[in-house]
Parts: sequence; structure tokens; C-alpha cells
Amino acid sequence: MVEKLPGSRDFYDRIIRCNNCGFCEAACPIFKATRRSALNARGKMIILQDILADRQAICDELIETLFQCTFCSGCTTQCPAGVNVPEILRAVRKDMVNIGTCHAAFKGMDQVLDKHPNIYAAGERERFGRKVNQKAEIVFFMGCVGQYREEDAVEAALDVMDHLRVDYTLIEEVCCSGVLEDIGFAIHDDLVRKNVALVRSTGAKALVTGCPYCLRTFKHRAPYQPLRDLGLELLHISQFLTQFDFPVQTHLKVTYHDPCDLARHAGIYEAPRQTIKKIAPNFVELPNRRANSLCCGAGGGVRGAYPRNSLSMARQRLKEVEEVGADILLTECHSCVHNLSNARLRRQKFEIYTTSQFIRRLLEGQALVAANKAP
Amino acid sequence: MNSRIIEFLKATVGAAQVTNELIDLISHSTDASGFRHRPEVVVYATTTEQVSAILKMVHEERIPLTPRGAGTNVSGEAVPIKGGIVLDLSRMDQILEISLEDRVVVVQPGVIYADLNHQLAPLGFAFPPDPSSGKVATLGGNVATNAGGVRASKYGVTKDYVRGLQVVLPGGQVMRTGTRTMKSSSGFNLTQLFVGSEGTLGVITEITLKIAPKPTETYTAMATFQRLVDAGRAVSQIMRSGAVPSVLEIVEKNCIKAINQNTDLNLPEVEAVLLTETDGFVKEEALFQMNKIIETLRANGALEVRWAETAAEAEALWSARKSSYPVISRLNNTTFGEDITVPLSKVPDMLKALEELGAKYDLILPTVGHLGDGNMHPHFSYDRTNPDEVQRVKKAEKELYHKTIELGGTLSGEHGIGLAKAPFMSLEHDPVAMETMRALKKMFDPHNVLNPGKMNLEACHG
Ligand SMILES: Cc1cc2nc3c(=O)[nH]c(=O)nc-3n(C[C@H](O)[C@H](O)[C@H](O)COP(=O)(O)OP(=O)(O)OC[C@H]3O[C@@H](n4cnc5c(N)ncnc54)[C@H](O)[C@@H]3O)c2cc1C
Ligand code: SF4
Ligand code: SF4
Repeated sequence: MVEKLPGSRDFYDRIIRCNNCGFCEAACPIFKATRRSALNARGKMIILQDILADRQAICDELIETLFQCTFCSGCTTQCPAGVNVPEILRAVRKDMVNIGTCHAAFKGMDQVLDKHPNIYAAGERERFGRKVNQKAEIVFFMGCVGQYREEDAVEAALDVMDHLRVDYTLIEEVCCSGVLEDIGFAIHDDLVRKNVALVRSTGAKALVTGCPYCLRTFKHRAPYQPLRDLGLELLHISQFLTQFDFPVQTHLKVTYHDPCDLARHAGIYEAPRQTIKKIAPNFVELPNRRANSLCCGAGGGVRGAYPRNSLSMARQRLKEVEEVGADILLTECHSCVHNLSNARLRRQKFEIYTTSQFIRRLLEGQALVAANKAP
Repeated sequence: MNSRIIEFLKATVGAAQVTNELIDLISHSTDASGFRHRPEVVVYATTTEQVSAILKMVHEERIPLTPRGAGTNVSGEAVPIKGGIVLDLSRMDQILEISLEDRVVVVQPGVIYADLNHQLAPLGFAFPPDPSSGKVATLGGNVATNAGGVRASKYGVTKDYVRGLQVVLPGGQVMRTGTRTMKSSSGFNLTQLFVGSEGTLGVITEITLKIAPKPTETYTAMATFQRLVDAGRAVSQIMRSGAVPSVLEIVEKNCIKAINQNTDLNLPEVEAVLLTETDGFVKEEALFQMNKIIETLRANGALEVRWAETAAEAEALWSARKSSYPVISRLNNTTFGEDITVPLSKVPDMLKALEELGAKYDLILPTVGHLGDGNMHPHFSYDRTNPDEVQRVKKAEKELYHKTIELGGTLSGEHGIGLAKAPFMSLEHDPVAMETMRALKKMFDPHNVLNPGKMNLEACHG
């Protein structure tokens, strides 16, 4: 076998283990949205097998599929042969970047983080009028999407924590840069150092975040070992909220979208449901849920690099919300809430929130658009 | 492929449905088999008229064309071995009609098996064949391969449900076969000629399928056997007793061992486990059949018989069978599931032959089987980077086919012939039968443009 992909050597055996059965089509959001089998996990694996067998050279034409994957791992849950496609792609992309074959948008992301502390190259920092870099029990980590695209979701989480009288602080956080490892680059050490130092100086016992991707990065990526060495608890807001009761309930029909990063990747299925069921007795599940959840299409840099397909994926997920007739769609990821909200069609009358946003609305007693449906 | 042809295709189906981008050519170069050959262009058709125009063109221009559904077949049936065009029908995916009164559905070929049943389930109906690839395989592919599943002994296979077809022939003529009635004695049974024809005779663009009410009650049981022959005999006795299992599956010792090594299911280390299910619309019906089966299992040396009444208990019993394919596929970098089928009475002989074959060629052959219909899936699990092992697998495979035919069996119960088993066609079919198949192929497809190179139909085309 030719050493075409030197950095991916550990994965050769796994690449050839793909028996091309195609079962991954049942879960691949990109395939389902486009019906283009080249974009499915199998399509990607056939290419890699051809490269290893010397039937195909690495070239720019392969970028379209090898760099178009939401890293949702839907394929992995379906795969009888145990092939972990995202893990393989992560290694392959590094090799491709090394030989100069890379998606321009992803190269751009790496360059942005060379110069800016956040992925959107935004100048202004949002502080939400909260304390920053102070001593506190808890650090709340906002994440780039939360800070610059879904500010209201962050603010809602902070409002709910205020309501619960939680002692927390924000920090002058910088991008966790975890996504760079997915798109062929590496986590930026200077950003890691900055985040770790800021967290350390708060003396916090726990770090809570609304971004499941940041959480995964902190918990599992090697460069963040120093953060883990601080010994503080790393929690998603949905886990944090399970310890509390809320004096509110809704009669509306509520459903929940399992974000890939929280559900399949971190195994957190129950925590969000526990809180949602307390405030929404009329809770219904989506047809594809938990480990079989269908990706919203935002992950892996796809929203930026392939916006059309990203929206189509979100639309296909929203169809399921229509199918169950829910009034409210809740989810626990800023990227999901962002992509799903952007994709909602005018005729789709349900509303989309994070659980914290919904709790805050209930707490504020705000009239919901669909409230007249309540008994 | 010359640009005139590409332009014609774009004008016929729309530019967005024609691609010769490298990634599409690669993804259409193979199916779930190990065979590979790239097409020159991939076309997604969405109407019968488009298919007709394309088949007229390829017939006139002598361009090879391979129809494709989801590409899940395991024998190279959808591999464009002569290049040319792959006609992908997966976007022709509308359910056109569900008629409970007539007990039929009319569908386009690209509808995914599971999507049809998802629509039928709330109505209490199903299209029963249930191939385990049903979440992704298309109904067109099911018809073209005559797909089956674990409930075939009671509910039959795809061919038992196909009432009528719309087929486009090379040359572009559109033909309707069959009816939407439950029976018909009118003329040749052209419909069945296309069932299992693997895209070599025509392209199926519409399918009328019989549907069946879905039983609501089931009982599931699992029995263990210390000796393989006892399990085989128990199966024969169940079939003799007149009992009607809806499922009768075997998981044999190599498979059990692999499952125990790779999961925490902790199955008893016996030579064979039989899994059986009975069903009906009232509990009594399913129970009556199950009692009869359990009696026979006990009388034939079953060590332990466990049975389930609730769905959760049944799930636990199914876990051994359901985990077998994922476990087998992870044993090595290459897995090939055979699909031989023998007369029910020869099941014990076949099981014994498999054991001998494994020993002779130093291979493990984990096997599961739909014993209610004599269909067995021994799996060759090997390292395809090891030439010696590949050679041993090839020899063992050849011997397996010879043994199967010797026992009065068939090369394929449900997967089809394609490229993988093409060289063995004349082992099973006598010269007259082979000539008849080739003559039919020549009649429908005189220029051999439709899925050429498959099923050993080539000889007549020189
Ligand atoms: C893990 C695994 C498990 C499987 N389990 C089963 C099982 O339990 N039972 C079973 O029967 N099979 C099984 N299969 C095999 C396969 O899924 C079936 O053969 C299935 O019916 C193929 O459907 P497809 O849409 O993928 O067709 P494809 O693989 O795309 O095509 C199969 C053949 O049909 C032809 N074809 C497709 N559509 C048309 C059309 N519209 N008109 C004319 N010809 C057409 C193609 O040219 C080709 O010759 C399994 C496969 C895998 C990988
Ligand atoms: S990770 Fe998700 S998007 Fe990527 S190939 Fe797998 S199923 Fe498709
Ligand atoms: S499900 Fe797994 S083995 Fe099958 S094609 Fe997809 S990645 Fe390959």
C-alpha cells in the first residue's frame, strides 16, 4: 500500500474495513439532504480506499466531499463494521492540508484565529453587563457562536443563573479553537494558554458552558490537559440545570433536538430531557432522537463552507418537528439553535429556543405566539 | 464520453442531474461488493420519459448503461464494469399511491424500503420482505434482486408481492407488465422475468406491490443446542410438524464465539442457537404455533429454551442474531457474506459441510441462516492484504458452490449473481437454461448495452 496519507497511517486498517455497505446513508444528513452518494460517509471511504490502493491521487476535486462533513457521527452509529468516519477524516484532512489541498474557507478560519481571539474576527467583546474575570464558584464559558451569533441564548442562560442566584463570572475568553482539529489544522496553543490562565484566576470549582463543542474540546482534546489539571468540574448548562426546579410550566407541545456534540459525542441524553419534562409535561420526542438524532447541518465548518447544504440539512430536521406537531423546539447547542432558526420557513409556526431561553420566557410570563393553542 | 452525449443527457434530465465530477464517478464505481470500475458519467433520472429517452440513445449509440438504486448489493450487480453511464434511480422516489382497498401500493423505484413501511405502519399494513439493508436499499433494487429477509419462510420474498411493473427497454420502449389485481392468468408472466433480472433486461420505473396487514402479536423463543446436528434436526422436525414460524434463524458456534469475544452478551458456548418467532392477529394464534415449536425443540435435544412475551424480553433474545453481522464485520478487514440456499432437509448436511470447509482451508466461517427457508449466510472473514489467505478463500468459495449445487441448492437465495457469482452460473443452470437466458437477454437488449458483463449472459453477444 502506498504511503499517500502518511499522517493517517494509524487509520489504514480502519479505512479498508469499510465494506461499502452503505448503511451510513440512513443517518448521513448530507446524503439525506442531497441524495448525492459521493457526499455520504461511504462515498468518502471509497475515495480513501482508492487513494490507498493507488487508484487515485489526492487532488483538489476531492475537497468537495472530504471537507464536507458535519462530524455528526450519524454514520458511526449505523456502521456495522465499526468505522469511525469523522475520526478518519480528521487525520486525512491534516495530511491534505500538509500537501496544500484544503478548502479555502477552512484555511481562512485558521488564519482568522492567528490574528483574532474569536472565529468571527469580531472586534467588540460582549459582556452582557455581567462580571468578568472575577473570583466566583463558576466560570460561564460563552463560546464564539454564543457570544457573536446567538447572544440571546447566552444572555438567557445568565438570566436563569441569576434567577437561581448562582455565583458565576464570565472571563475574557478566546476561541477554544477545537474546530481547527476537525478541519485539518491544530488547536492554537496561545488560545489554550489564555483560556486556562483566565479560568485558573477565577478560582472556580466548575466551568459551565452552553456550547457542547467547547465542552468536548475542554474535556477530550490533548492541548486542554492543563485545564483538566485544574481539577474543576466541566459541565454543560443542561447538566447544571438538572439540580434545580423552576416554578413554571407550559401546556404547549414541546420537542427536543439532540445536538450531535451533546448527545452522540458526549452521551448526554437525559439531562436536558429531565429539565424539559419538568416544565413541559406535554413533551414529545422527534422520530430520530438520542443516538439516532439527525444532525442540524451546522457542524464541522459546513455552515460556513457549504451554506446551502447546511440549510437543507436543517430544513430536513425541521420537517420532523412539523411531523410531530410541536409548538416549541428546544435544543441545547448554540450552533443548532442558530442553524435551525435560520432554516425555519415562514409557514412553520413553531418556535426554536435553547432550554434556558424557554425557561426565561416562561419565568417572564411572556405571551408565547402559540399560547392560544394551550387548553 | 463525448460532449455530444453529455449535452444530450443534460438536455434530457437537466444539467443538475448529470455529473462527471470525479467524486461522483468514484462513488458510483462500486457497490457493497469488492468490484470496482468507474463510469464516465452519472445521470439521475426522475421520470419514465427521461429513462426512455436515455435508453433509446444508449441503444443507438451502443453505450453501456448500468441502473443503480442504493448500491447495497454485495455481488457487483451495480458496478459499471464496462464504464459508460450509471443511471441512478434513487431520486425517483415518490410513493404514487397507497390503496388499502386494492391492497396494493404503486411506487417509483427509488423509494427506500423502510420509507414505504414507515408510511404503511400507521395503517396497519406492511410490504413484508424486510431485507436487513431495508433502511437504505431501494424498492427498485429489491425487485431487481428479488430481495428477501428473515420472515421469508412465512411471508415470501419480493417476487411474491410484485403485481405489475412499468419497464423501459433498451431502445426506449415503455412496457407495462402485470396488473393491480390479486391474480391473473393472462399471458406470459413478464413481470416475474424482471424480478431478479439485476438490471440486465430493462429499467424498472414503476412498481405495483401487494401489501399485507401487519400481525400485531408475536412470541419469540431462543433454544440452545450442544450439537449442530440436533439443531438441524429440530429445524427439519419443526417444518415437518406443520408449525408455521415467522422466523427461524440459526447462529452457529463460530458466530457465537465471535459475539462473546466482542460483546458482553455472554451467550452460552454451544454449537448452535436457534431463534424463532411466531405471529398472528390474536395472542392465541401466535401462542398455538409457538407451543408447537417449543415442543419440537425440546423433543430434539434443545438444552435450554427461553421465551419472551414482552417486546423488551424479545429484544434480548434477538440480540444474538442482530449483533452477529456487526460482530462478523469487525473480525477482519474483509467480510464476504455468502448466500447459498439448500432444500430444507439438507440444512444439516450443509452445516456439516461448512464446518469441514473451514477446517480444510484454515478459515473461520461464522454463519447465520434463515433456516425456515434453507438460506444460509456463511461469512468469509479474512485479511485481503494477505494473498495466501485470499487464495484459500477463493478455493473454499468455489468448493462451497459445488457442494451447494450437489445438495440440490442454489448459489443465491436473495442477493443475486452480479459479477461475483457469474462464473458459477453454469454450475447451477443447465446449458439449455443458460442458452434460454442468453436468448432472452439478446431479445431485450440486442446490443448488450444494459448492465453488460453480469450473470454470465455475455456468450451470445460474442
Ligand atoms: C449488510 C447488508 C445486508 C443485506 N441484507 C440483505 C437481506 O437481508 N436480504 C436481501 O435480499 N438482500 C440483502 N442485502 C443486499 C441488497 O441490500 C439487496 O440486494 C437490495 O435489494 C439492493 O437494493 P439497492 O437499491 O441497493 O440496489 P443496487 O445495489 O443499487 O442494485 C442492485 C441491482 O438492481 C439493479 N437495479 C436497481 N434499480 C433498478 C431499477 N430501477 N431497474 C432495473 N434494475 C435496477 C442494479 O442494476 C443492480 O443490478 C444486503 C446488503 C448488505 C450490504
Ligand atoms: S459524520 Fe455525519 S455528515 Fe459526516 S459522513 Fe458521517 S453521517 Fe455524514
Ligand atoms: S456503514 Fe460503515 S462499512 Fe458501511 S459503508 Fe458506511 S462507513 Fe462503510
